[in-house]
Amino acid sequence: MKKRGIGLGCSWYGTGYGNGFPDVSSAFVEIHDDGSATVLTGAVDVGQGSNSIFAQIVAEELGLEAQDICVYSGDTDATPDSGTTAATRQTYNTGNAVLKAVRQAKSSLLVYAAREFSCPTSEGIELKEGYIGVKGDPSRRVPLADLVFQARLRGERFISAESSTARSTPVDPETGQGAPYWPYSFGCQSAEVEVDTETGVVQVLKVVAVHDVGKALNPTQVEGQIAGGVTQGIGYALLEELELNEGKIKNPAFSSYLIPTALDVPNIEAFFVEDAESTGPFGAKGLGEPAMLPTVAAIINAIDDAVGVRITSIPATPEKILKALAEKNGEVKKH
Amino acid sequence: MIEIKLVVNEKPYNLNVEPSERLIDALRNRLGLLGTKEGCGEGECGACTIIMDGKTVNSCLVLAAQANGSVLTTIEGVGNRRSPHPVQKAFVEVGAVQCGFCTPGMVLSAKNLLDKNSHPSESEIGVAMSGNLCRCTGYDKILRAVKIAAEEGKQ
Ligand code: FES
Ligand code: FES
Repeated sequence: MKKRGIGLGCSWYGTGYGNGFPDVSSAFVEIHDDGSATVLTGAVDVGQGSNSIFAQIVAEELGLEAQDICVYSGDTDATPDSGTTAATRQTYNTGNAVLKAVRQAKSSLLVYAAREFSCPTSEGIELKEGYIGVKGDPSRRVPLADLVFQARLRGERFISAESSTARSTPVDPETGQGAPYWPYSFGCQSAEVEVDTETGVVQVLKVVAVHDVGKALNPTQVEGQIAGGVTQGIGYALLEELELNEGKIKNPAFSSYLIPTALDVPNIEAFFVEDAESTGPFGAKGLGEPAMLPTVAAIINAIDDAVGVRITSIPATPEKILKALAEKNGEVKKH
Repeated sequence: MIEIKLVVNEKPYNLNVEPSERLIDALRNRLGLLGTKEGCGEGECGACTIIMDGKTVNSCLVLAAQANGSVLTTIEGVGNRRSPHPVQKAFVEVGAVQCGFCTPGMVLSAKNLLDKNSHPSESEIGVAMSGNLCRCTGYDKILRAVKIAAEEGKQ
């Protein structure tokens, strides 16, 4: 018989290295005389999209388009260290370093521009749509490229190097007190499953995922990370079993270590909540790992809801489910 | 060495290959077509997918000598930056690429499906793409991109 159930899973997750470990990211920025800018960071984009995020951050600050920004990343010959692409930290940590760096390069540009426009303070200058000029007076603005070109001929350069360190403290081993991570990421997912009581096979029919991302700097990437995370979560909950024999992996192949295929993924509805993180770049924080965590709990709870068995070790393979069902039915008979 | 003739991306080639040489190695090392990726090397992941005589094959499981006389399409033969294939355009539009390692194989599987069946149903798309593993995207946007490409083809 096929039975359906619904389950809920919630998660909170501390991003960054945490526990007082120095979590430092760095960035170099230069604003060029063709109205473009270059940013260098050691952050490696493995497909999560950090390069796009850094281009967006620089563009936003300089009133340019993301395609005007050239991002160099992860080249030990040329880029400053930005730590690992791990711990859900690049958007927040390196994003903060990039934001600090572009703001610093921009501040000398603003000082120069204030002089040019005879503005008493650089606060009266704004960068918008590729132009730089006096705030609120569209007649007094020039293309950013023109101003930087002119400045260049006078020997001015708009270059910066900045680092950003995430704040955390080690946990006191005696009291358990401390602030081991910052910031935290929150998520909640619900899953609907169908359990075949004859075969023990679980089919995930639908997952709804809601995550607090602080601010979605790139909504397409947020959706992609949620769908990718949920799918890894489905593998984690139902399929992926790493078998070890004396420290050696017994199933190092896709034929014996199963990951979800296009046919294993249900309809995934991804939503995000934007509760700005005051210490993050434009309010953003990380989403990478948190996207896969609630999935497991939601699926295990949905199995319980469907057939009334509590699976306490993952993956919830058909064998485990059949065994649990048999035990449950045996117990029922005893009463 | 064995002499073989094949057509790759509409260009004819004569190659001398080792008897045990895999097609993926001939493509990558002899022809310099690095778009075809090797994931598992054992026919499970689909990263090395190419189209051979109108069928998708895992080029890690085909011997170069077996491809003698065949017509092949690799990702280099499917559109380019200036005029992308509808599948490639849709991938970019919806954001179906994350690390990109599965992408060449995904695009070829999708192209071959649409070449054969311009009106695939959702489940036909799922089946056609199920031989290509992706660890990043959760397939969601990939399947959506194939659907968009199929709809565009209909118009
Ligand atoms: S490399 Fe050929 S199927 Fe994985
Ligand atoms: S995009 Fe990374 S494996 Fe598919």
